[in-house]
Amino acid sequence: MMDLKDLTEAIKTGNRTQATSLTQEALDADLTPQSILDAMVVGMDEIGDKFKRNEVFVPEMLIAARAMNESMAILEPSLVKSGYKPLATAVIGTVQGDLHDIGKNLVSMMWKGSALNVIDLGTNVTPDKFVAAIKEHDAKLVGLSALLTTTMPSMKATVEAIKSEELSDVKILIGGAPVTQSFADQIGADGYSPDAASAVDSAHQLLGIR
Amino acid sequence: MNNYERYMGMVKGEQVDYVPRIPILMHYAAKHIGASYADFAGDYNTLVKANIALAEDFGVSQLDIMSDPWRETADYGAEIEYLETTCPQCLKHPLEDSKDLSLLTRPEVGKTTRLTAAIKAIEAYKAYGYKEYSITGWVEGPAAEASDIRGVSNFMIDLIDDEEFACELMDLCVDVAIEFAKAQIAAGADTIGVGDAIASQMSADMYERLVFPREKRLVDGIHEAGGLVRLHICGNTNHILPVAASLGVDIIDCDWMVDVVKVRELFPKNTVIAGNLDPVEGIMESTPEKIHQNFIDLYHKVGNPYFVNAGCEVPMDTPKENLQALCKPIQYNSSI
Repeated sequence: MMDLKDLTEAIKTGNRTQATSLTQEALDADLTPQSILDAMVVGMDEIGDKFKRNEVFVPEMLIAARAMNESMAILEPSLVKSGYKPLATAVIGTVQGDLHDIGKNLVSMMWKGSALNVIDLGTNVTPDKFVAAIKEHDAKLVGLSALLTTTMPSMKATVEAIKSEELSDVKILIGGAPVTQSFADQIGADGYSPDAASAVDSAHQLLGIR
Repeated sequence: MNNYERYMGMVKGEQVDYVPRIPILMHYAAKHIGASYADFAGDYNTLVKANIALAEDFGVSQLDIMSDPWRETADYGAEIEYLETTCPQCLKHPLEDSKDLSLLTRPEVGKTTRLTAAIKAIEAYKAYGYKEYSITGWVEGPAAEASDIRGVSNFMIDLIDDEEFACELMDLCVDVAIEFAKAQIAAGADTIGVGDAIASQMSADMYERLVFPREKRLVDGIHEAGGLVRLHICGNTNHILPVAASLGVDIIDCDWMVDVVKVRELFPKNTVIAGNLDPVEGIMESTPEKIHQNFIDLYHKVGNPYFVNAGCEVPMDTPKENLQALCKPIQYNSSI
C-alpha cells in the first residue's frame, strides 16, 4: 500500500512536482480522498509549526503552499465526489488601504487545508465588502489582514461595520505584522494570530471545532 | 543650531542642542496640507509643499521624498494607479509573467518620469532649505525592488526556485539604485534612505547569502557618491540585524518589534539608531505627555547617537498634539 508520508514530505518541502505526482498516484491507488487530504494537511501543519518557531520564513511557506495548491487542484474533484463538506465558510481579505497580500494568502491556504471553505476578497477591501461577503456566503469566520501601521484603523472600521450589522455569530480574527493581541482586544476582534500557522488553531478555536 | 547642523552633528558624534526627529509622515503629510494622496505621490510640487509644511509646523528635521514604493517600479514599466486617499497600487508588475530582463525599461533620471520628479523635488528642497534641513532621498533596496518588479510572492519563490535569476534581477536593481542615488546626491540630498522591507521576511541565511552582498554594494555606492545611508526595513528584523550590522549604514531605522538595545550592541558605535515607538499604540493612540516621556526614556535606553522616530510611518489620523509631542525637543545628553 502506498505510504502517504512521502506526500506529506513533498508538501512540507515545497516539492510540487513530487506532491502532484504522489497525489495522482494515491488517487489511482484508490486511497480515500480524505486520507490524501489529511496527509497534505500534516505537511502544511509541520511547515507551519516551523514557521511559528522562525525556523523557516515566507519563501519556504510559499513553496509549500504552492505544492499544496497544485495537489489540491488534482484532489478536489474526488473530494467533492466523496461527499466531503468543509467545516465552515470563512471570508478573508486585506483591509482597506492596504495592498499587501502575502500574509493573507498564506492564511487563506492554511485555512483551505484545514477544512474551511475560504472566500478570498483580495486586498484593499472596504468594510462594506466584508459585510456583504459574510452575508452572501453565510460565513462564520472573517480574517482581516494588514501589513501597514497606517491601515490598522481600517481594521477597527471593519470590525465596527461587522458588529453594527449584528452578525453576532461571526467570529473575527485579525493578523499582520503590526497587529497585536492588545490591538485586537481594543477594537473588539474575537482573536489575534501572530502568524499564518497559528491562524489555523485560532480559527478552529473560535469556531469551536477543536 | 539649525536642523541640518543638529542632524549632521548627531551623525558625526558631536554634541548637539537637542535630538533630531525624523518621523515618516507620508499620509499625514498629504492630509496636513489637504492634498489627495494621488497628488502627493504623483506631483512633486505637492510632495515638496507637504514636507516643507511639516518641517515648519512641527519642526521635523528633514525634508524627504518618500511617498510610495513604486517610484522606480513605475519607471521600470509597471502599471500604477494613483489613489485619492492611500498609496498608489501596482496594477501590473513589469515582470509578473516573465523573467526576461530585456522587457524592462531602464529607469533613468531625465528620461523616465518618476525618477526625474524625485530630482526636481530635491532641487526644490535645496532651493528652500539647503543646509538648514537634512534632505533625504530614497531608493528601493535590492530585495524590495525585485519584489516590486516581479510581485512579492513571485520573487520570494524565485529566491528558492531560480536563485540565479533572482540575483541577476537584484543586481540590476542595485545598478539602477546607485545611479539614482548619485543623481539625488548631486541634486542636493545629504542622505539616501534605502527601503528593503521584504528582507525581514526571509531567513538570516538567505538574507546573508543573497541580499546582504547586494545591499552592501548599494551602501558602498552611496557612500562613494558622498551620501549618508539610512536603512529602513519594516517589521521584525531581529533575526537579520546581526548580519545587517556589517553593512556600514549611518542610520538604522528600527521598527517597534526590534530590540534597540541589542541593535546598539550589534551595530558600530557611531551608527545612529532611529526609532522605535509603536506608530499606532505608541503615537496615534497615546497621549502627548506619554509620547514625550517615552521618547526621553527610549533615548536614555538607546544612547547617542539617536534620532527620534516612530517604528514606521505615523498614521494619518494621529492627533496633531501627538505629532507635536513626538517633535517636542529632547535635550541632548552627553553622558549617555
